[in-house]
Amino acid sequence: MRTRAMKTIIPLHPEGAKPAANQATNQIAMLTELQTRTLDAVLDLIIPAATERGLPGAAEVGVLAYMTREAPEAIPIAAGELDRLDTESRRHFDLPPAAIDDAQRLALIESIRREIPAYLDRLAFETYSCYYQDDRVLDVIGLEKRPPYPTGYEVDAGDLGLLEAVRSRGQIYREV
Amino acid sequence: MSDDIVDVLIIGAGASGAAVAWSLAETKMRIVCLEQGGWMHPADYPSTRRNWEAQMHRDASPSPNLRRQPADYPINEDDSPISILNYNAVGGSTVIYAAHFPRLHPSDFRVRTLDGVADDWPIDYSTLEPYYAENDRITGVAGLAGDPAMPPHEPPLPPIPLGAVGETMGRAFNRLGWHWWPSDTAIATREHEGRARCINLGPCNTGCAQGAKGSADITYWPMALRAGVELRTHCRVREILVGANDMATGVVYFDADGVERRQRAEVVIVACNGIGTPRLLLNSSSARFPDGLANRSGLVGRNLMLHPWCIVQGVFDRPLASHYGPQGCCILSKQFYETDASRGFLRGYDLQVTRSMGPVNTARVGLARGTIPWGAGHHDAFAMRYDRTINMGICCEDLPEHCNAVTLDATLTDSNGIAAPKINYRLSENTLKMIAHAFDKGSEAMRAAGAIDILTEGPVRMTGWHQLGTARMGTDPERSVVNECGRSHDVKNLFIVDGSVFVTGGGVNPTSTIQAIALYIADTMKRRLANLFD
Repeated sequence: MRTRAMKTIIPLHPEGAKPAANQATNQIAMLTELQTRTLDAVLDLIIPAATERGLPGAAEVGVLAYMTREAPEAIPIAAGELDRLDTESRRHFDLPPAAIDDAQRLALIESIRREIPAYLDRLAFETYSCYYQDDRVLDVIGLEKRPPYPTGYEVDAGDLGLLEAVRSRGQIYREV
Repeated sequence: MSDDIVDVLIIGAGASGAAVAWSLAETKMRIVCLEQGGWMHPADYPSTRRNWEAQMHRDASPSPNLRRQPADYPINEDDSPISILNYNAVGGSTVIYAAHFPRLHPSDFRVRTLDGVADDWPIDYSTLEPYYAENDRITGVAGLAGDPAMPPHEPPLPPIPLGAVGETMGRAFNRLGWHWWPSDTAIATREHEGRARCINLGPCNTGCAQGAKGSADITYWPMALRAGVELRTHCRVREILVGANDMATGVVYFDADGVERRQRAEVVIVACNGIGTPRLLLNSSSARFPDGLANRSGLVGRNLMLHPWCIVQGVFDRPLASHYGPQGCCILSKQFYETDASRGFLRGYDLQVTRSMGPVNTARVGLARGTIPWGAGHHDAFAMRYDRTINMGICCEDLPEHCNAVTLDATLTDSNGIAAPKINYRLSENTLKMIAHAFDKGSEAMRAAGAIDILTEGPVRMTGWHQLGTARMGTDPERSVVNECGRSHDVKNLFIVDGSVFVTGGGVNPTSTIQAIALYIADTMKRRLANLFD
């Protein structure tokens, strides 16, 4: 059993990302065909499919549609990062990212991250967010596919008899 | 200025503004409250939507700097390791609080006498006790009588459910011989005063769609409005005006259409809490008060206390249904709350066992921490953590320090051009030693509970919910901003009723005490109406 200390303060929202008001839209933001193929290859690196568990890969859960709806400001960032990956892939392998294997793609990404530590952070954040709202994923992890309200959930009241041990030790607050 | 003069003008419709408005309404005085936010619409709360978790970090973020709603004002927190969290609306930050509702201890009011540091309050626990009880009844507080860590009191409602999370940690605390108890919680565990009971939606801290959580918009405000209090929403006060006799004469504010207006008042009550109150007073400087209204002591904005918050998380080898239930409350250990100088620091902290996260936030936090990585290990790492984690929040008591302050930013303003607050805050040696001790003890508790992996983190940045001490109470005008009745030493018809009047912060969530203080100050005002300004 390990105990780890996190010394840095962990923001739940990526640094430098400016939230925008949600924009409901039926139109999926346009990436080029090349960017889209690169995106799918990257998404499956981020969260690969696990068919034995019934889990899809991230390329199957509509990340781009999700980002268009929930985080449109992140799409140009992702497009630029996908272009960078394409540039590096052609430079090293003379092939686009979708045509090289996972290990090669991952090595390129890690190389870019040594130069730009936040590279693909926002895409990964939105990918995780989208993935864990997908119906197929919720089925596997056992979460009902509905909002909490109005049904709510049952939680066991618990055994308040456990408190007898606390009572028996008596008062612990300081009198004044 | 308009000739219309109200008897009482309250600035801020949050926890304390709501309580004082309700209490004073029985006098039949003409009472107006100005609130820069609006009314909440529970049907819009994230828990009514499938994407409720994702909303927690966008429109429903607790940080005004991320949320950027029209009612928000920016806060410069570049020089603070803790970000300020608030909500500007009818109900104030109670709209998004977790409703954890413990009282201060009697010793929290006597820190100088007992521990030789900071100062004593000019009031004590026994003074506030009847107001705590009244507030518990009105708010609908769930809990369990008999807590040996507190003076006897009877929460009006049964405690929130322990669930597997509470039982697991309760058994662990028992193995260690430590105190623990179900938290006092402002959540209706059965129907209360016309409000529905809690159905364990989970994300209390994004608003309660069920109406079970005791936020001030559904507890005090309906009664205050029925009693005749006038509440003007989307009205942002720019400054409080003062006359030649050092008496407040009213305020300048921007109404819902952005038009500048003035409201005269016989009495002004400030209820904007530990950041908003000093900001308003400092923005109300004048020839009579060049350093800010009511600030001849130089203490407006000083002694900011924020309750540095840390986390110990345990991962377990079995499902715990750990994200079901009221998110911020389960059980509480006060084992290390009272001072024991042998630990190497003064004052103390409490261990607050809270519910864990849903799948989206489990994944997001795992991404940020590196515990749920990309690629081949992703699914195993997620399965190891989702619904199998217990979080323990550690609320540390920070001592008041002059250098920890709210001032006015030199350039940053809100949408009305009003100078924004700037926060300067640093962690003291005492706090750092306390945090180290808390990590050690929190980890010990997790090991006793059988955790297979333990993570410590903190102080966590996005935890500045508690904003205290910046217009402190006291009997000496040179060492305090308001007297024991919440009245400014310098401006005899100006009262402050919120968390800024705290002398010391205690080590627990302050809303119960803030509202008890507001009710107490309102009562003293009612008793002294004939000579209120003497």
